[in-house]
Amino acid sequence: MSSVFGRMLRHEWRMLTADRTVWLVSIIFGLLILYAVGNGVSWVRSQEVVLDSVEADGSRRLAQLTRALDSIPADAPPPAAFGRDPRSPGSVGNFDGAQFATLRPQALAPLAVGQTDLLPQYLRVTMRSKLTLAAAQELENPSNLLEGRFDLAFVVVYLFPLFILALGFNLLAAEREGGTLGMVAAQPVSLAAHLGAKVVVRGGFMLGLAMVATLVGLLLNGALPGMPPGKLALWFLVLAAYGAFWFAVAVVVNAVPRSSAANATILAGVWLLLVVVVPAVAGTLVNTLHPMPSRVELIGAMRTASNDASARGAQLLAKVYGDHLDLAPSGAMTSADFMSRTYAVQEEVDRQLAPLADRFDAQLDRQHVLAARYQLASPALVASFAFADLAGTGPTRYRHWREKVASYHEAWQQFFIPRAFRHEWLDASAYPAIPRFSYGDESRSEVLRRVGIALVVLLLPTVLLAGYSVRRLKRYQVAV
Amino acid sequence: MIGAIVRKEIREIARDGRFRVAAITVLVLLVAALAVGWRAAASAHAERDAAANLARSHWVNQPAKNPHSAAHYGVYAFKPKTPLSFVDDGVDPYTGVLAYLEAHVQNDFTHRPAADGTALSRFGALTAAGVLQVLVPLLIVVLAAGTIAGEREQGTLRQLLSVGVRSRDLAIGKMLGLGGALMLLLIPATIIGVAALLVGTDGSGSGSRFLLLAAVYLGYFIVWIALSFAVSAWAPSTRAALICLLGLWMVNSLLAPRAATDLVRRLHPTPTALEFQRVMAAEQQADSTGRTYAQYQEAFQREVLSRYRVDSVADLPVNFAGLSLDASERWSDAVFDRNYGRLWATYVRQDQARSLFGFAFPFVAVRALSQGLAGTDFYHHREFATAAEQYRRHLVRVMNDDLAEHGKTAGFQYMGDHALWSSVEPFEYQTPEVGFVMAHHGRDLAALGGWLVLGLGLALVGARRVRV
Repeated sequence: MSSVFGRMLRHEWRMLTADRTVWLVSIIFGLLILYAVGNGVSWVRSQEVVLDSVEADGSRRLAQLTRALDSIPADAPPPAAFGRDPRSPGSVGNFDGAQFATLRPQALAPLAVGQTDLLPQYLRVTMRSKLTLAAAQELENPSNLLEGRFDLAFVVVYLFPLFILALGFNLLAAEREGGTLGMVAAQPVSLAAHLGAKVVVRGGFMLGLAMVATLVGLLLNGALPGMPPGKLALWFLVLAAYGAFWFAVAVVVNAVPRSSAANATILAGVWLLLVVVVPAVAGTLVNTLHPMPSRVELIGAMRTASNDASARGAQLLAKVYGDHLDLAPSGAMTSADFMSRTYAVQEEVDRQLAPLADRFDAQLDRQHVLAARYQLASPALVASFAFADLAGTGPTRYRHWREKVASYHEAWQQFFIPRAFRHEWLDASAYPAIPRFSYGDESRSEVLRRVGIALVVLLLPTVLLAGYSVRRLKRYQVAV
Repeated sequence: MIGAIVRKEIREIARDGRFRVAAITVLVLLVAALAVGWRAAASAHAERDAAANLARSHWVNQPAKNPHSAAHYGVYAFKPKTPLSFVDDGVDPYTGVLAYLEAHVQNDFTHRPAADGTALSRFGALTAAGVLQVLVPLLIVVLAAGTIAGEREQGTLRQLLSVGVRSRDLAIGKMLGLGGALMLLLIPATIIGVAALLVGTDGSGSGSRFLLLAAVYLGYFIVWIALSFAVSAWAPSTRAALICLLGLWMVNSLLAPRAATDLVRRLHPTPTALEFQRVMAAEQQADSTGRTYAQYQEAFQREVLSRYRVDSVADLPVNFAGLSLDASERWSDAVFDRNYGRLWATYVRQDQARSLFGFAFPFVAVRALSQGLAGTDFYHHREFATAAEQYRRHLVRVMNDDLAEHGKTAGFQYMGDHALWSSVEPFEYQTPEVGFVMAHHGRDLAALGGWLVLGLGLALVGARRVRV
């Protein structure tokens, strides 16, 4: 049997390579992949330039401040309340020393742009309220954001199925229409094996083409050397599973005798449904059934709370000093207390808004959980999420990073604000203790777990469809 | 003759099971999209109205304080939803919804709804515009691929031509029949759209926009009907026609827009926020002639002293701080005008370059026109942002003028009061007239017009060459 199947494979391969449209389709597909990979690589490079300059900027500022600190004589008067001074916690923590927290692209980032064009990949951390972090954004023409990027994930998720369907819509129908299927059926091989050989050859060809084109694209753009082989292999596994699903769809449509035009129409409909309609409906459902609380309202509430707190500013500051005797500055009150009052007001505003902000975060979390659940509605979504996960451009990594930034921001405030309250000036010993941000990525096993689930989710319908087709093929009417 | 062909076509299509399923699916999606869009637009509108009122009450109910402190306190501007955004919400998810208007700074609009959304949103939301731009052409293609090729395959084309049907009549009849069948779907959707517009938030003044929007989509469908007919007349078989048309559809609505995005970004790169802020900060220090801000203020002081013919600031009859603050605003306004001007000019160049793609891919032209007419394109955003910035400058100037006029003796101890706060009228914004859309989308209109001429021309040429 194996030798028979081997001969069938060789035969199918010869048939495939003799077909001129196959070559045309392959060339177009390969070129699209090359273009997409090139786009992705240049996007990630431009991002790296920005992040490098952002990080260098932070270090440069701290170095400058340290030098400025050294040049201040020991008997100099204390810093002015509003002036820029390397000794003043407010001046350093809010302006001159403010640091950026960055999210560096991972090795596979060129393959899936994900949300990196929309969500800021660096955040400026100051002593100001954490609500200010939510306003950060990168500049971009909104029309560009709306269209999205031409990256490999786009080519694979949207176009790969179309190329598969173009090769697979008339697997049996063409032979049936050509009258050769009856001759095949007269041979001692099952229709399922016949169809299987076609799918194996075509699937192997498309997968090989996609892999080679991706590797060539990376090589041409000089991005191949840095690629971790394990992750790249996982990427190709997801690609294979997604491709297998679409071949299974083609097979199940071929398992019922119909004209090839009817097959093409049905398959185009399935593609449209799973790749275009279901994702749009899923996104709309998440937003309609579980709408985000409004940022607009949050801003209004912030304003109300801040008016209220400002009116009681002096009182609030007195309360801070009353509750925390350790924070009260030694010596007489100075104009620096104006700044202290600002911090006291800000703390109060943050405290008052905490329930609202928490509700906001909780709803965001819920939406992401829902989105992760709704993605199961379409293999296109499952594959897309898995690709973004592997590329490190997905929502989970981003949210993980935002959490780390939030705790970094807290540490930053914890470092500067009590010192500001105490009027404790920064000296050479304080500078090395200023918190620096370093992002420990989420654990690899977490990513592996999610990608593993995606693989199972992609393969399950594939196996079911294939099994159903084998049963169905036994009842296939060969005669036209 | 044409009438008979049209009736026959409509009847045949309406009886086609595929058409019924597809048409009902598209209609359901269209109606659902309209409903969801209408709800989202109405709630966003109400929310922003309330927020604008709250912001206004925050402003007028400020306690007595120095007018410059009040200018620092500032107000928030909230971007309104346009009445037709329920049809096409365009770039709205990707533009900020609010801007903080305060002294000294032109802040960008922040809080893009999409940034708070899930990764699902990048697959595109279900909008009426999406259904009309993507799904309806697909429906046309599937229905029309066999319109001539199918008759030829079944041998009925020979009969038709043998009884003396003129090929021109056949073409017109076939296309009108397709259009008529499509109307079974589109007329109810349009009625629902009109009803939603009438029931919805203040839709006054949107009538002409709605009519033009309907005309643009009608034109787009005619392009697809004509192209499909031409391809069907030329193609050797229904299958060939279908594959060719599906390929066109895919490149048009899927590949072209994305490819265009990457291309226009390469041609006219968007600066990063960091670079943008850095350049702006540098220009705040010194202008292009090398004159520093300090020099500018010194020159301004000399000019004021000579204008009032006095020797020192103390001798001025007005509060110099107010004048100097006003001068500082004018200095920074020039910086903002230059920088935001440059940034927005980059966006406009990108959008204009994208519009060139419309001549090759009608989807690109229709999308831009649809967003323009719905008031949800970048040009409308820029118009609103500019109005908000003008309001900011006005508000800050009123505060600084008051400080200059009254703060002479008390200096920064001088307090403004409720009367001063309410003397600044609330921020009102009118969506521009429809002429504004036409002025900015000439290229897209030309592209769609070109496609109409080309499509109908191809259809007529195809009709003349119909052979058995």
